[in-house]
Amino acid sequence: MRVPIRMISVATTIFWVFLIAFAITAVYSVRDVSFNMGEPQSTLTQDNMMILSLPFTVANRGFYNIGLLSVTTQISDEEGGVIADNSTTLPVVRIGEQATLVHNVTINATDFLWRNQNYLFDDASFLVNMSLGMRIAEVIPVQVSTNVSMSWGAPFYNFSLGTPELGSFDSTPLRVTVPLSFENHAFFDVACALRVQMYNAYGSLVGDTQTSVNAAQHSSYNGFVEFYVPQGEMTDTGRFEVLFLTPPFDSGQLEVHYG
Amino acid sequence: MAEKNGGLNSKLRKYTFKAVKATLKGILFYLLYIVLWMMFLAPVATVLPGLQRMIETFVMVYVVLIIVSELTSGTIFQYFFDAVKSLFMIGYLIMALGGGTMSITMQNINLAIDLHVFLGIIMLLSLLGLAKAVLQAINFMSEKAEPPQPLPS
Repeated sequence: MRVPIRMISVATTIFWVFLIAFAITAVYSVRDVSFNMGEPQSTLTQDNMMILSLPFTVANRGFYNIGLLSVTTQISDEEGGVIADNSTTLPVVRIGEQATLVHNVTINATDFLWRNQNYLFDDASFLVNMSLGMRIAEVIPVQVSTNVSMSWGAPFYNFSLGTPELGSFDSTPLRVTVPLSFENHAFFDVACALRVQMYNAYGSLVGDTQTSVNAAQHSSYNGFVEFYVPQGEMTDTGRFEVLFLTPPFDSGQLEVHYG
Repeated sequence: MAEKNGGLNSKLRKYTFKAVKATLKGILFYLLYIVLWMMFLAPVATVLPGLQRMIETFVMVYVVLIIVSELTSGTIFQYFFDAVKSLFMIGYLIMALGGGTMSITMQNINLAIDLHVFLGIIMLLSLLGLAKAVLQAINFMSEKAEPPQPLPS
């Protein structure tokens, strides 16, 4: 019996030494791994996809490979509804290697604005749940997660149509000019065709016009729309109905009262 | 009378030797802990606030078990305490490591470490230690019941 007991003792001791050495070196290995997060970038593509890119650089100067390095992002609105999520994985970052990972989250702008047209006119704040996962020494899974808030800038913030100004009184029909202004708080440029319909106090359609607006990101737009209203149809009060015709803003519909 | 005194002296020597050996083992284990702490664990403890208390409690109980096990060497209780050591190791680690998943929250950042594999290996090694203690106890009892016979020349 003594020999098997001795063998168990030897085996146990060897395994313990290996385990402790592995644990210590694994912990120290993590200290020598550096993560750098680049500047987040947002773009709107031709097919109306908003792409949020987050570049990561991982330099592994530790003793072991890093396995399954993954970045997961979930963007949700103030009510908790998920707007977009994505996960990017790098199978392995070898010892001494520096790897770059570009994590993209794509949001279909058309669907997004159809979901809640307030995003066209009001700024909002979204909750971004980000997590970074990896396997230290390809064995021990570790995950770091955090919540950050992301602000959404409305492309037609403070959209307003001013008081109609009458042009020459002697012309038939009357030429009416209405000032139009908004601030583009979005990260993309706005180029959109608008259809504006003018209704008088009795609810009759007295003018219908189309115009296009262009505003660079983070800039203000000040312009006007013109109507030709039949004589006698114009009233001091009434309303405008604005329809946004160009995707991805074609969900937009707005009613503005005047007078 | 002299024979009785000699027996007493021999017993006293035996117990003193056991006590010294137990103390030395305890001190050695504690020194090992201090070296490991200063060299490797102290930087980690700055990130994990409860780590020092967790490890100190473990070391304290383990040193007590080492000393008691050494003091009772030569009796069946030594193996009993060896088995207790292994079971304590399993139980304490399961409790301290939250069943294998550790989670720490600092400000807005949550760090989760899945130590199931690590815990599994420690448990297997501790079970091996437990098996060793049981085998040693069986061996001890069998040797006591049947003293080893000299090999025929």
